[in-house]
Amino acid sequence: MFAAGLKCPGCGSSNIVDDDLYCQAQLVCVDCGSVVSEGTLADDPVGGTDVSYSRTTAVTKKPCLNLIKGLERVKEMCRILRLNSEIEDLALTYFRQAYQQESFINVTLQRKEVLAGCCVYVSCRQRDWPITLGTISSLLDADPTLVGGVYQEMIKILNIQAPFVSITDVIEAHVQEYKISAQHVTKELAEDSKVLTKRAVALVELAGDSWIVTGRRPLPIMMAATYLAWQSLNPNRHRLKLSLDKFCHLANVQKRKPAVMRITELKEVLCKLGRELPWVRETVTQDNVVRLVGDILDHRHTLLTRALRTHETAMQADCPQASALNSPTEEVTPSQRSESRDQTADASSALQLCPTDRTENQEGDDSHQTEDPEPNWGVRVLFAPPCVVHAKRRRVEPPHVQNITGDEEISDSEIDSYIRTPQEARAFALMQKAVSSSGSGNS
Amino acid sequence: MALNKVLTELQKAKKRKKKYTKNQFCDYSLEEAKLGARRLARCLQKLGFKVRFSAFRVVNVLAVCSMPFAVHLVDFTKNNRPIASYEPELHPAATYRIKNLKATVQVFSTGSLTVTGPNVQSVASAVEHIYPLLYECQKPRCK
Repeated sequence: MFAAGLKCPGCGSSNIVDDDLYCQAQLVCVDCGSVVSEGTLADDPVGGTDVSYSRTTAVTKKPCLNLIKGLERVKEMCRILRLNSEIEDLALTYFRQAYQQESFINVTLQRKEVLAGCCVYVSCRQRDWPITLGTISSLLDADPTLVGGVYQEMIKILNIQAPFVSITDVIEAHVQEYKISAQHVTKELAEDSKVLTKRAVALVELAGDSWIVTGRRPLPIMMAATYLAWQSLNPNRHRLKLSLDKFCHLANVQKRKPAVMRITELKEVLCKLGRELPWVRETVTQDNVVRLVGDILDHRHTLLTRALRTHETAMQADCPQASALNSPTEEVTPSQRSESRDQTADASSALQLCPTDRTENQEGDDSHQTEDPEPNWGVRVLFAPPCVVHAKRRRVEPPHVQNITGDEEISDSEIDSYIRTPQEARAFALMQKAVSSSGSGNS
Repeated sequence: MALNKVLTELQKAKKRKKKYTKNQFCDYSLEEAKLGARRLARCLQKLGFKVRFSAFRVVNVLAVCSMPFAVHLVDFTKNNRPIASYEPELHPAATYRIKNLKATVQVFSTGSLTVTGPNVQSVASAVEHIYPLLYECQKPRCK
């Protein structure tokens, strides 16, 4: 922070900064290093002035110190993240605009610091610089929920939009955090960052195609992709035995719990594709699929088409009525996309047709319905969001009692069940006293 | 439990003229919601509070429905900017706000929708409005 209007007695420069030494205030000249002044003046009130800055006439005379501190914090964050000057200028502009708004002017210092981080984040996204909110939260050492709330409020107030950051852009920066190059670990566990990134990107793209990415937080997916990429690049005994926990410890990154589930989901998808590899004779399971990951990723578009076709054949064997409807679908002219994607689209639409036929058939025999009234469409398609595949069973509510008027007599035992905790009973007693005393006061 | 919420509010504001009850019942129609509120008022009367049931008004309607297909949220957001917003790090659903209906639709990747609006008609209209937009984005990379 610059202290305006002062001159260094040693060299005469006005480049003087506030360089506090522990709790002692000091003004130091940047050019020659001499201490201009130190210690607080005896006349200054302890703990700051009684009247806050915003209520004094100083508002028009000198800029708000917190605004200056905030701008410095923005510059500091840009320097740490090594952002270019364009992003820095944009972030500073946004901070100045947002700071003047009601929602951010009289708030805690922590919130103002988080605002600075959010301005940096939005500027990065607008200039296509891959960054996640998690990075900003760890930089600010703040709760991600708070950062998220401030970010949403800020974009609403400033009326700006931030383009979507693709997970494949962010993963390169993510992989570089992992300390598993040759200089950090032993040779059999080491991996080159570029090779690892390339494999991880391919895995993330596959995850995106098979509904694992949509709706999920990006960080656990990136961690799962990095782990599987590292294992598959050299699937020796040491790497395959190492769990995610130990891998994160080795690479000096913090483990994310959802990453374990993402690894399972990714392995399921890889198994589905691995079964289509013509040169694989053994059964592909979650344990042995890691060795095949390289081949699967190299030929994943072809394998996807084959897997969908195999699934479609299996479905047609189950519901023969759909076969008559499927033929017009295949005659639909393909769009300008690649051939494999067209086949994927046609196969998927064929799959969508089959479930509707199934539901029509099942509506016919209502009397034979089991506890699950609606069949789960996710179980029938090859790739679906995991929440749909493993859907929670909805509790069926018992049929409601008819003819409720609202004026029925309520038994004492029922009333007792409403007052459950001792705290509520105490609060109720206090409340009754207050109500009766206010009632007697009014009458 | 709705009753606990009302009791807590009464403790905080001693002379509260209005009482807000949040009926958290599943699969209720508007008539059943009113009956439930009357039943609650009757309970409070029996408990000894001076309660009168009048001017019942539905302030917000929450509806849930689900599509028989998954929705690719990134494509959906890109096609419908700036009305749609999606931050995967903050919330798993894309939020679509329809200004003229004053309704908000939250779209999940599984195809489930959560619609909130001031009345049942606006909620129904919101679902009708959003269905074709979702249908376009049901497969990955549908651009």
